[in-house]
This record gives sequence, C-alpha cells and structure tokens, in this order.
Amino acid sequence: MLPQGEKLKERAHLRTLPELNPPITVRLKFRKVGSLQYISHLDLQRTFLRVLVRACIPVWYTKGFNPHPKLVFSAPLSVGAQSVYEFLDIRIDRAMEPSEIKERLNRELTEELFIEDAYLPTSDFSQIGWASYEIKLCSCGMNAEKAEELKQTLTASPLMMTKRTKSGEKEVDIIPLIRSAESVFDEVTGQITLTAVLRASSSEYLNPELLVTALKDHCGILCGDPMNEWYSILRTSVMKEDGTLFA
Amino acid sequence: MNQSMSNILKSVTRPGRYSGGEYGQIIKDKTKVKARFAFCFPDTYEIGMSNLGMRILYGVLNAEEDVWCERVYDPWLDMQEKMVEHHLPLRACESGDPLTEFDMVGFTLQYEMSYTNVLNMLQLADIPLRSAERDDRFPIIIGGGPCAYNPEPVADFFDLFNIGEGEEMLPELCRLYIRMKEEGRYTKADYLHEAARTIPGIYVPSLYRVTYHADGTIEAYTPLYDDIPTKITKRIMTDMDTSFFPKEVVMPYIETVHDRVMLEVFRGCIRGCRFCQAGIIYRPVREKSPEVLNEQAKCLFESTGYDEISLTSLSISDYTHLEELTDSLLSWTDENMVSLSLPSLRVDSFTKELMDKIATVRSSSLTFAPEAGTQRLRDVINKNVREEDLLRAVGVAFAAGKNAVKLYFMSGLPTETDEDILGIAELASHVIDAYYACPERNKAKKPQVTISVSCFIPKPFTPFQWEAQDTMEQLARKQELLGGAITDRKIRYTHHDAKVSRIEAVLARGDRRLADALELACHEGFKFDSWDECFDYDKWISVLERTGIDPAFYANRAFGLDEVLPWDIIDCGVTKEFLRRERDRAYGETTTPNCREACSGCGANRLGGERTCCPKAKN
Repeated sequence: MLPQGEKLKERAHLRTLPELNPPITVRLKFRKVGSLQYISHLDLQRTFLRVLVRACIPVWYTKGFNPHPKLVFSAPLSVGAQSVYEFLDIRIDRAMEPSEIKERLNRELTEELFIEDAYLPTSDFSQIGWASYEIKLCSCGMNAEKAEELKQTLTASPLMMTKRTKSGEKEVDIIPLIRSAESVFDEVTGQITLTAVLRASSSEYLNPELLVTALKDHCGILCGDPMNEWYSILRTSVMKEDGTLFA
Repeated sequence: MNQSMSNILKSVTRPGRYSGGEYGQIIKDKTKVKARFAFCFPDTYEIGMSNLGMRILYGVLNAEEDVWCERVYDPWLDMQEKMVEHHLPLRACESGDPLTEFDMVGFTLQYEMSYTNVLNMLQLADIPLRSAERDDRFPIIIGGGPCAYNPEPVADFFDLFNIGEGEEMLPELCRLYIRMKEEGRYTKADYLHEAARTIPGIYVPSLYRVTYHADGTIEAYTPLYDDIPTKITKRIMTDMDTSFFPKEVVMPYIETVHDRVMLEVFRGCIRGCRFCQAGIIYRPVREKSPEVLNEQAKCLFESTGYDEISLTSLSISDYTHLEELTDSLLSWTDENMVSLSLPSLRVDSFTKELMDKIATVRSSSLTFAPEAGTQRLRDVINKNVREEDLLRAVGVAFAAGKNAVKLYFMSGLPTETDEDILGIAELASHVIDAYYACPERNKAKKPQVTISVSCFIPKPFTPFQWEAQDTMEQLARKQELLGGAITDRKIRYTHHDAKVSRIEAVLARGDRRLADALELACHEGFKFDSWDECFDYDKWISVLERTGIDPAFYANRAFGLDEVLPWDIIDCGVTKEFLRRERDRAYGETTTPNCREACSGCGANRLGGERTCCPKAKN
C-alpha cells in the first residue's frame, strides 16, 4: 500500500501522463479461493472497482452521464466454487507496465483474491470453450469401485438433468457437455477426486454444481450428515475449443 | 474455515455474510492478546457493517495492542436453522471462535426492536441470558448505544452498560479487566463493582435495587454500595478533532446498506425537535474543523476506494463550515470520480448552490421532513420549519429538473387534531401546485409526491417523554382520515405499522419488569422484530399478557411529571427541568430557538466540549 496521503498525489501524477487514445486492455489473471468462493459475480465486480481505485490504477472511465470503468470477466464462476484461473480485462488510459499493475493490485488484496499475472492479451474471451475442474468428494462409502462408478455415470449418455435457464427449466443430457472425466480414490484421505473438463463457452455452460447434483442423484453420495460429508469445487484452468490452454 | 462449514454455506442465502476474510479485518495472535472482545451488532451483516459507531469502536479497541476486537452479526433465519440443526454456536467473523471463548461480549443497542436479536444471539452462543445466571467463566456482557439511555428493559441480561460515547470507556473496561486478571483478583462480582466505582459512565444494573409503588410506578433506585454513583452521567468525547478516527475500514465484499465513506462531521444537533431523542442525548454539539474533515475524507478515500462520501451527522446542513468543507472536498473528489452525498437536509437550508454540489440530487427524488401538517403543530414539536421554506426548497428542486419529492411526517403527536392530519394532505397538494407553478420544471414529467407517515413514539430524554402514545384505534382512524383526504393520484401515501410502533413504545419506556417478557419472547423464537416478515403483534401481546405486562401502562399512559422514570438513573447531560420547560412550551405552542441562536440552558454544556455553540459552564 502506498503511504497515507500518497495515493491522491499518485493519482494526480497519473493524470499528468499522456493519455492513451484509444485506451488499452490489460488482462488480469487471478485466483478466487477460500472465503471468496462465496462472493457473487456482482459483488466481485464491485470489489474490483474499489480495489482498482485503492491501487491507483489509471483505469479508463466511460464517457457520458454516469462515467464508470469497464470491467470484463471471463467465464462466470458460480458461488461456492473456487478458482485459480480467472480472468478480468480492464482498460487503462495512461501508460503503466502490467507488472506494476499486478504489484499495485496485490498490495490491496488478500491471498484469497490475488492477481497471478497481468499482461496485454492476445486472445478473446469468446474463444473459451471449456473449463477444467478438480472436485473433491468426501462422503461415506467411498472406495475404488465408487470412483469407477462415478466415472461411468459421467460417460454414459444420456444423463438427464434439469437445467435452469433464462427461459425456465428444461431437461438436458449433460454428457455432451462433458469433454472428459477422471475419478480417483485416495486411500489415505478416503476421498474421491474428480477431474472434469466441462463446457464453458458463451453459448453453452455446464455448472459443476449440476454435475455434483447428478452424482448425488445417481450414485447415492453426499446424502449423509452434511457436517461430515462435503465437496469442494476448484476451477483449475480454462481452455479454447480445441482443448489448448486459454491465456 | 473447516470443510463441514462449506456445506452449510452452500445452502444458505448470501453466504458472503458469514464467510469473513474481508480486506481490512484485523487478525491478531490470540495467544498474545490479554483480552478478547466480541463486538456484536444485533442485526444482519449488511446493516451492521454499515454502522459508523461500530467501525470506530472496532478501531479503538484494536488500537490496544493486547486487546483483540472481532465482529459478530446476527445470522439470518436460514442460517440460524442450520446452526440449530447442527449444533453450531455463534462465532466471531475474524477468528471463527465461539463467543464463549471471549472475555467480553459487547452489543450495540441501536433500536429497541433489536432487543430480541440480542437475546437470540446470546442463545445461539450458548450463553445464559441473565446476568445472574452467568458465573466467572462466562464473558462479561456489555451494552451501549442510544438505547442504553433507557437500559432498564434489558437490564437483567447485561452485566454492565456504557452510557454515552464509548471511545474511552471501552478501552478503560479492557484495561481494568486485564489488570485484575494479571493481579489474580478477578471475579465477575469484583470486576463489576470496580468498574462501577472507578470508570465514569459505567452502569452496572445489578448494583441498583429498584422498588415500586402499589400502582406500578417506580418508588426508588437504591445503590447497593455507597461508593458507586447514584446517577450515571454519560461520557462524551470533548474534542472531535482529536477523537479517535478509524483510518482503515473493514471492506465488505457483499453489498451493504451504506457502502460508502461515512464522514462524521459533528456530534449532536442544535435543533431540539421535541420528539427527537437523538437531538437530546448527543448534546452538546461538537464540530470537527473543516481542515481535519478534509484530511479524514482523503484518508478514507485512499484506504477504501469508495466512490461516494456521505457527510453523516444529524441535520448536516447546520454545520457551521458546510460551504468551506464541501468546497475543499470538491477540489479533489470530482477529478477522482468521487461524489458527495448529504443524507439529512433541512428545507430551510436547501439551496441551489448546495444541490449542485451533491450527488443525492443526481437522482430524481429528494426527501424532506416537515414532520407535521400545520404550522401550529410544527410549532408544538419545535420543528421550526415553515410551509414557505418547504415550497421554496421544492421549487429549487423542480427548477433543476426534479419531479419527485418524498415528505416525512409523524402522526399521533401531542395536541394533534384532525385539522393537523388533514394539513398533511393539504401540504402535499401545495407541493404539487408548486410544481406546476415552476416555469423551469421538466414539462415532460408529472410531479410525484410521496408522503410517508410514521407513528409518534414517546422516547426517554425528550420533552415528550411523559406523553401517552395514541392507541392503535386512534392511530388507525387518523391513518384512514388522511388516506381518505388524498384524492390526487400524483400523491402516494404510505404509513408505518402502528402495531410495531406500540411495541417499540413499550420497550422504549419500559422498566426492569419487562425482562420476563423478553426472556419468554426469546424462548418462543422471537427474532428480527424490526423486519416486517418476522414481527408478529399478536404473539407479542400474548407474551406480554403471560408475563403480566400491560402494554398500555408503558405505551398509552401519560407518565406523571413527578414520577420516578425508569431512566432517571441515567444523566444524559440535559436536565429534566429543561425537558419539563420544553414540554410546557410545546403545550403553549411556543418554539424554542436553536442552540446557535440562543442558549436555552439545557444543561449539556457542563459536559464540556470543543467547537460547540454552548456557553462555557460555570463551575
């Protein structure tokens, strides 16, 4: 954090730098883990608006009656899911090195919401096709057979689930929305770790929560005491249509 | 947070209320601190996180190196169900530790209807409700805030109360606690006695015996020791420029009620509206200087990144240096995309110049509070606002393109007649007329006047503290009378629920005998009574009946002028004689000048204070 009284000076200084016209886009890759998994998309957006101000980033404001910075997030993440692979595109109108932006932001953030990287993007969020997740399941009756059963369930079409969309509820087969699914039982922890690559394009999206619900419904897991049985969802990466890593 | 909590959090609404981890929260090594303080706000996270007093006191306590103050809020209904189902006790935000592990648990009492939440939180924390049921193993339960000026209805549940401003008192309480622990002479009983004896402003209810007359009124308060005060005088911070100011704020991730910089400009109010408790208990007026405020605003902007600064004080336009302050703020806020807002505007100070400076006016609606419909009644309540002032103020707003005005009124005020009620409708239609009379109005829009009418509640430490509240039948009749008088569809009329107001009156003017009723209410699951979806009048009446309480005794009875009042044990600085004089003037329909025009001798000046308008008190 800049010392008290320094930030207004810094902001005034930034305003004296030559203006970038048009403004340039800087991509922030960040993680959203721990207690931050319970923060909704809208709240995250409001949080970033303040953090950008605190960090003295020369963000570009829209012109007009109600000027505001333009923030564009990559594939949405549902409440209750963590991620180490999130993206936010911001626009700046004065020159600042991406590394400096990253450093400044991290001074105003906690470890649970942390900028991993900042750079000038060469890709577009519309190219995102898939997201990879690590889902940990802790439930009674976990063993290697169960792990196999879960995997089978996620590969045998059709697996009909009720999906909530803007136009109401509808029954869909979620198998085509799953690119791959692996399931491993760990003797030591007694947990099953599911690694799954799910559809995450702008037109089709499979919420990992729905996948967990499917397994609950079809394989009888996570039906016991919620204080002893739990699951966690971690997004580990996002990919382009062809399965290569998106950056 | 452990994994099992994650299941619970995934199943409740707005889990961000409970997940903690906010930027700016203060984490200390609990093995190194000597006193742990749980600061509880008895309402939801969104409301509690917006409370300026809590922000200040959180900072004050954590400034003590060996004290760790954490925050606690009342979990919403769905979360409470889960907690009960899985035997999860109430926990503090920062450490996640249950309240029973704390040395002190403080509650801020902001409104009477939150009393059931206080008990509900103690219950969720597995802490016995009554002070008498808690031995040395339990934390000391502390109350403070505006409702502590009549702490009697909840006196049996608290170990002690802070009367007045807590910036010095709370650290003093912690220091005493640590000292007695270190010297190995801590017992709860000794601690309470020592606090009452040595720390000004501390009220330990268990050290005072209350006796009653046969007619149910109070006979006397008798201290159990002769070395504790017979009346507890409130504490104030005399110099607001040097009083503790929280440079950092715990930043909520989820949206809260007041998600902005709150800049406290001054304490107190020069006005003296006769129904208003805040206008009396926060006296004397103590201003901060504009230079200090400008620096504090800069500091908060830098540490929070908020894009709005709200100047929060009672009747903000009474600030002596308002223009100087807004000018110096605007010299840097505009270019940093920060807007200013003033939450409390008086019609007599509302000008075009002021409106141009503030953001609240960028929306299409403005709010004013004439409080009563006729000049006669406005004189009775000492509102000191004239119809001309209101019409001039709305004229300024209409000329600037606004078309919506919200007007606050009160019904059931002392001496009120039907004429006064009908005057509300008339005043509203004059505002509509003013719209069409305004040549610069936005001709594309129709005017919209919203009248919001609340019920008068007699409050302790006001000139109207002795008055009877209208019965529900009277209030209902008046509400209907007004509803029938409003025929213009450009006028929208809403009114408060008279049932809530009646229970609030009982709790506001209650005494210790209400403890049984509140305890029963808690056992029957009462909570969030300030929320419409939770308040149940019939259940309240049932609880009061079963514990032998007649609500009319507290709400609808005119208290005797010579009666010992439950709050007579407290000295708020303003004398009872002054309140009595003001009551007489109210009945004489005579107004009283504001503190800046002339001193009316309320007595608060003996508490001292810098940058006040009070004459220096004679020693």
